[in-house]
Amino acid sequence: MPALTAAIANLKGGVGKSTTTVMLADGLAHYYGMNVLVIDLDPQANSSQMLLTEQGVQAASDQGKGVHHVLTHFMAGKPPSAAPFIMPNAVTLEELRRAEEQDAREGWISSLPAHPQLRLLELNLEEEWYSRSGTPTTLSESLGKFFREAFEPLQSLYDVILLDCPPHLSPLARAGLSLADVFVTPTIADSVSTWGTKQFSDWVGKFIAPDLAKRNFVVITRFRDTKYARSVASDLREIYLKDRWFGPTIPESVHVLNAMERAAPDSYDTFRGKYAGVTGDVRRLAERFTDFMTQRTGVTWAKVRH
Amino acid sequence: MGEGKALTPVEYLDRFFDELRDEVRSNPKLAERLVKALGGEVVFDDDAKAEIANPFALATGSKAKFLSVFSSMKAGDIRKILKENNLATRIDMAGKSTDQLVEMMYNRAAMKVQERKSVF
Repeated sequence: MPALTAAIANLKGGVGKSTTTVMLADGLAHYYGMNVLVIDLDPQANSSQMLLTEQGVQAASDQGKGVHHVLTHFMAGKPPSAAPFIMPNAVTLEELRRAEEQDAREGWISSLPAHPQLRLLELNLEEEWYSRSGTPTTLSESLGKFFREAFEPLQSLYDVILLDCPPHLSPLARAGLSLADVFVTPTIADSVSTWGTKQFSDWVGKFIAPDLAKRNFVVITRFRDTKYARSVASDLREIYLKDRWFGPTIPESVHVLNAMERAAPDSYDTFRGKYAGVTGDVRRLAERFTDFMTQRTGVTWAKVRH
Repeated sequence: MGEGKALTPVEYLDRFFDELRDEVRSNPKLAERLVKALGGEVVFDDDAKAEIANPFALATGSKAKFLSVFSSMKAGDIRKILKENNLATRIDMAGKSTDQLVEMMYNRAAMKVQERKSVF
């Protein structure tokens, strides 16, 4: 069964794309024993940092791991390849680490991390491409083809591939979006995020996925329980993004922000320790997304942990 | 919290639904959300509609339906809805008749829906 590729994306910044990516990766690996690959296409490298730490992101880059190395291959005209650039262990959960230690792997997270260098490389690539009369569209198409071929051998190794996308439409970001089977859209219950989400939704619908409504999973994040936020959340569900799948509403949590900062590359925490007050929300996120996956692929998943 | 008396599963459920029924009677917004979640159509009761009628949701339908819900409301209720939904300021509403307020509510709510609703 090939992996389901999900792009976690929105043109609005600050809506919790990276946090949602990590929550999904943790939830799917922990509760359903899925083998998850997180590909970070955002040069801000936030989800990479959350999974590997800053030191880990730098160490990965020094070892030749990361999306920017895949891009270097593309620029050098080398054959498409991604597997050698993956960090095979980006697990922060004690339960997964312990199971692996006991040769009973039930759920795992690997990372194809980003690095701030990625943006500079993208700029160099764009400059070179446009100097040869290429256009942003031909570049994103060419990158999309390269990535599709590079990721092909990974399809049988993972259950789900999460693409953490940047809040813009660079050729690399567009290439990433073109690979997605489904689109996870984190948003915040306020008017500017609603408007940004509409822009993103309309763009993806027009250029990539005309059947977006069926392939879209929306998560309202950083929810502050006010009358205004409840009203916007309700309008998102019932009017603006009607007929989409909605995950649970994830509350604003200082604990989560802190938990997303991994202490060190060899630091682990239990699922409950990491997510504390939002443990139930992350569990529901994994459950609801798994239902969504089942509806898309026909494959059912049983929980391996409760 | 417990009363020290063991209840049968049916008694527990009866209590739960009694609580739910009471809440739905006294909380029209919850009632509206529950009915919608169950796939039903909300019927606007005169006493409750000022509290639950959503101009954005209604602006996605016909203008006639929109007017049928809001035109019979008192000016004070219309002003409250306009204000609470960020559809008008006190300055915008000053000196306007009920009909003008409803017209403004429809135009602005319809514009917001167009700005925010995905076409896909």
